[in-house]
Amino acid sequence: MTDDRFSRQSFLGDDSQEIIERAIIGIAGLGGGGSHIAQQLAHVGFLRYRIYDGDIAEDSNLNRLIGAKEDDPSKKTPKIEIAERIIQVLRAKAIVESYPCRWQDQPEPLRGCDLIFGCVDGFSERRELEACARRYVVPLIDIGMDVHCVGDEPPRMAGQIILSMPGSPCMFCLDFLNERVLAREGERYGDAGPRPQVVWPNGVLASTAVGIAVDLLTDWTRSLRDVVYLEYDGNKNTVKPHMRLDYLGDRTCPHYLADQVGDPIFTNSTATIRKAK
Amino acid sequence: MIVRGRFLRPLYVRVREDLARSHQFAYERVGFLSARLGNQKGVEPFVLFTNYYPVPDDEYIDDRYSGARINSNAIREAMQRVLDTGEGLFHVHCHAHRGRPGFSSMDLEETPRIVSSLRIAGPTQAHGMVLLSNNHCIAHVWMPGADKPIVADRVSVVGYPIEIFESERR
Repeated sequence: MTDDRFSRQSFLGDDSQEIIERAIIGIAGLGGGGSHIAQQLAHVGFLRYRIYDGDIAEDSNLNRLIGAKEDDPSKKTPKIEIAERIIQVLRAKAIVESYPCRWQDQPEPLRGCDLIFGCVDGFSERRELEACARRYVVPLIDIGMDVHCVGDEPPRMAGQIILSMPGSPCMFCLDFLNERVLAREGERYGDAGPRPQVVWPNGVLASTAVGIAVDLLTDWTRSLRDVVYLEYDGNKNTVKPHMRLDYLGDRTCPHYLADQVGDPIFTNSTATIRKAK
Repeated sequence: MIVRGRFLRPLYVRVREDLARSHQFAYERVGFLSARLGNQKGVEPFVLFTNYYPVPDDEYIDDRYSGARINSNAIREAMQRVLDTGEGLFHVHCHAHRGRPGFSSMDLEETPRIVSSLRIAGPTQAHGMVLLSNNHCIAHVWMPGADKPIVADRVSVVGYPIEIFESERR
């Protein structure tokens, strides 16, 4: 059932608004990407949020932080407060659980989400977030962008949207994460100045991620049945399936096994194996 | 305390398909779901269903007064599974109708006895009973050390698509 407010999205299905309102959504990171996502989710009508960010707004964020006001940096407004503000402005009934910290510092509420948006910096934090989502069987939608400079060529703007579904290929399977990039991460992150970020690619990535989330929950396309790995080319303004999907083959993930879920326990079978050694 | 349940979709589909098979004389089928606890330190722990074990055909008792009755072998095997794996176990069956299902008075009287046996075998894990309908799912969860079961606040199916079944309409 949809009220007039959501009548234009009634094509999502008869029960779509009920489904959307039922879902508990986690957002890890409320910078350029996460702030876009929070705003769009509120527009779509999501009601239940668990949001994480320990940073405060700075002048250098104003080029992309959705919902930020010009005086937020001088007031040292936490990013989480900006996100909460924008959600509540759009959806007064929303229940927003705000965690002004890194998600790792208080992971329990995040584990309880039905879907997590990962808007974190760097490969190693993505690895941590995906490991948490897999262990507690939560779908994760990761977005991110970067700008690279190679020689005299124009800067290259690229990004990704990955749906990491428990039981399906993970970011290691997709080779988005690997030992090489994790090792290299400590050395540098982008070449076009300190942590290059602009508003428009974040908007593209966030919008696509929200679209995937709505489809996952409402199944309105009835076609989302497999891993999603989209690459964004900011120089050509395109989003397309990543070529690695063509070479993925088997859809089972060898990195996060089905029996390695939940809080770690010491099982009798583990004892037997250890004894045998 | 709020407790939640989670299935991966392939497991959920497997359970459904198995329980939908007809039996020579039983009106419905029964199985057991293994489960692990997650988020025990949080305010909303959850039960993650990890595997499914159908009760073999020859472990049903022909009893015209119940939809399905299983014999002591089935219960012993379930208890042994708890001991072997260290995981919790949930009795599962299906009422073939649409909408939110409800445990029958016989379910509520008899299945907790099976659960009691499972809790003795694995006191540190959650055990319980799961009931499916054609398009819904509910669960009663006995947390470690708890006297009474908790009705799971929601049971979700994680996959393509995600489904979230709430125990009550909000």
